Amino acid sequence: MTITEVRSERLTTSRAMVQAIDLAMERDERVIYLGEDVGMYGGIFSSTTGLLDKYGPSRVLDTPISESAFIGLAIGAATEGMRPIAELMFSDFMGVCLDQIYNHMAKIGFESGGNVKVPMVLTMAVGGGYSDGAQHSQCLWGTFAHLPGMKVVVPSNPYDAKGLMTAAIRDDNPVVYMFHKGVMGLPWMAKNPRSVADVPAEAYEVPIGKANLAREGTDVTVVTISLSVHHCLDVAEALAPQGISVEVIDLRSLVPLDRHAILQSVAKTRRLVVVDEDYQSFGMSGEVAATITDADPSLLTAPVVRVGNPDVPVPYAHALEYAILPRPDRIEAAIRMVVGA
Amino acid sequence: MTDVLFPILSRERPEAEGVVATWFVTDGQVVTAGQLLAEIQVDKASQEVPAPVDGVVHILAREGEVVPQGSAIARIG
Amino acid sequence: MSTTTSPPVASTSTLPAELRVSLYETMVLSRTFEEAILREYHADKGPGFDIGKGLIPGEMHLSAGQEPVAAGVCAHLTTADAVTATHRPHHFAIAHGVDLRRMTAEIFGRVDGLGKGRGGHMHLFDPDTHFSCSGIIAEGYPPALGMAFAFQRQGSNSIAVAVTGEGAANQGAFHESLNLAALWKLPVVFVVEDNDWGISVPRRASTSVGNNADRAVANGMPGVRVEDNDVEAVWEAARTAVQRARAGEGPSLIEVHTLRMWGHFEGDAQGYRPELAEVAAHDPIPAYASKLIAAGNLDAAAVERIRASASERVEDAVAFAKASPVPDPATAHDYVFNERSTR
Repeated sequence: MTITEVRSERLTTSRAMVQAIDLAMERDERVIYLGEDVGMYGGIFSSTTGLLDKYGPSRVLDTPISESAFIGLAIGAATEGMRPIAELMFSDFMGVCLDQIYNHMAKIGFESGGNVKVPMVLTMAVGGGYSDGAQHSQCLWGTFAHLPGMKVVVPSNPYDAKGLMTAAIRDDNPVVYMFHKGVMGLPWMAKNPRSVADVPAEAYEVPIGKANLAREGTDVTVVTISLSVHHCLDVAEALAPQGISVEVIDLRSLVPLDRHAILQSVAKTRRLVVVDEDYQSFGMSGEVAATITDADPSLLTAPVVRVGNPDVPVPYAHALEYAILPRPDRIEAAIRMVVGA
Repeated sequence: MTDVLFPILSRERPEAEGVVATWFVTDGQVVTAGQLLAEIQVDKASQEVPAPVDGVVHILAREGEVVPQGSAIARIG
Repeated sequence: MSTTTSPPVASTSTLPAELRVSLYETMVLSRTFEEAILREYHADKGPGFDIGKGLIPGEMHLSAGQEPVAAGVCAHLTTADAVTATHRPHHFAIAHGVDLRRMTAEIFGRVDGLGKGRGGHMHLFDPDTHFSCSGIIAEGYPPALGMAFAFQRQGSNSIAVAVTGEGAANQGAFHESLNLAALWKLPVVFVVEDNDWGISVPRRASTSVGNNADRAVANGMPGVRVEDNDVEAVWEAARTAVQRARAGEGPSLIEVHTLRMWGHFEGDAQGYRPELAEVAAHDPIPAYASKLIAAGNLDAAAVERIRASASERVEDAVAFAKASPVPDPATAHDYVFNERSTR
């Protein structure tokens, strides 16, 4: 009898993401990666480190600064049988190419009655906390999630980063894959220890549309995503010895949204805090709250508390930026308020 | 015992200091030669540090601790 | 590659009779189709004009007068080549060989349409002929790059033809696409239909240069301008461009000065258009018929036969569309996401 060794290794989120792409490219020559500085540079947030060396410039392509053209190119190639991954360097750059994304990538499947598929992944870096200012610190997942026709996944940790990337590449629908710069484990940016973790060596999928119960608790449900997951877990750990039991749900996907997981948790704890680094109004946090009120407002014994970026462009000065980000101090205050402690 | 040295990234400034940005192994872990031990950073440059030999790794420098280039950040024995 | 614009291309040698008649037939089929859609579209919009009313609701952009561009270009293509077209797509769809019945059913918003009623007249997708179109100006250019890219990778001889109007040549995606296609030497033929009008704005009020063929040269590829809406001149320019693309020599651009005979959209009174009264006199189809009759390639009986045959095909397609069911409202949420293929 042969015993199969299940190997795992400690990886940063960026290395785990790259590993998923590598395994997919090895397995399927239709998978290519294109974007700005993804070749020799390896992606400015280390999304493609080492891939050019392994696969060469015909499969890892540096593009001109022409987002409409190269994202549109990925779309057209996907309709003709390829499985491209296109990188939008920052989600903030969506403005220069949004038409190709939401009017083409996201709608061709629908407008063709399912006859034409667009099996591509659109990756992008998101998030603030390192003083990159208003045009380079946004999350914007609320905007992408709001527009029908594209799945939206947002991993918070190495295991999910690899599994969601594998699932995204294999999905026949367009998938937007948003990686927060602060979870990538980059050596040149302050990082949370949860950015480095054990990851199985083989290819595996994390299902798109399923949230993860990151921490079980009984007093309050904290629903969150991306870097905020780390902060929420840190706060939950600190509050546990003080008798406050916090349940943390890492959504992992926004489209589809795991409403069942949210409802199931709030049915248990009866209190909800939503932590969302995107702009507060008209976005993810409102959608999570509505998930409860659409179904059964009586589940809630206290108003929903939302902790997010206010409707303010992200300021440059460190003290100002950190005043608007959903940091642990604001998360703790929200939890205490909702449990009445 | 074999020293694992912080790579020299800045030859123009040999006295430059850097940090171990990420340890990928824990103190006391058995490692094999070539296995990725750490990622270090000096100014804007970063580099991987592989294990020079097989053995048990003993970590000397903590993540984020400032160390001179060329100093021993771990030992393998 | 030329460093100055080529002189306007006019038809020099005589095309074979069979080809001439084929080009004429394609144009007649296209015009007959547009006339039928015109009729059906306006039949039930009254009293007055309610755009959302009737069997064909919504906007309608018809291609009368622009048939020479589609016929001349698509004569060099097979259904293995890709075409991305605009909000005014019917002449290219027809010339490229899109299934007439399913296209008509889609325009009527029926279940048997190309998009099962989800897309409508500006969003026709036919994977069998690699045909697609988009309602966003210039945005059909970028996906054409990707189709060409995929064909190149797959080792096929296929190319992509990307069509816009002259107004699109002032949109960012137009310039990005030309640059990237030239840089990566993609097998694309860019077609610009200059019908003088971007809705109500004439080209001289929108475009800083004399013609868009010069913009092609500025973006690293040959550009030619066909001045006189002549199907044979288009055919010759397209032959060069298509051969170039198939030979792996990269993209080129053909600009055709064509004629939008009707409004930008149906319901457009065109009060802004001073030359409106003279438009019918420049109809390219009777002009080509006259040319072919004078050359002995056609006679009056053949012209009538061609017209009758087109009419029969078109009315069959319209009947097919009208007989197809209206989509069930309960299916309105379908096709947002589509099943994974098992792998």
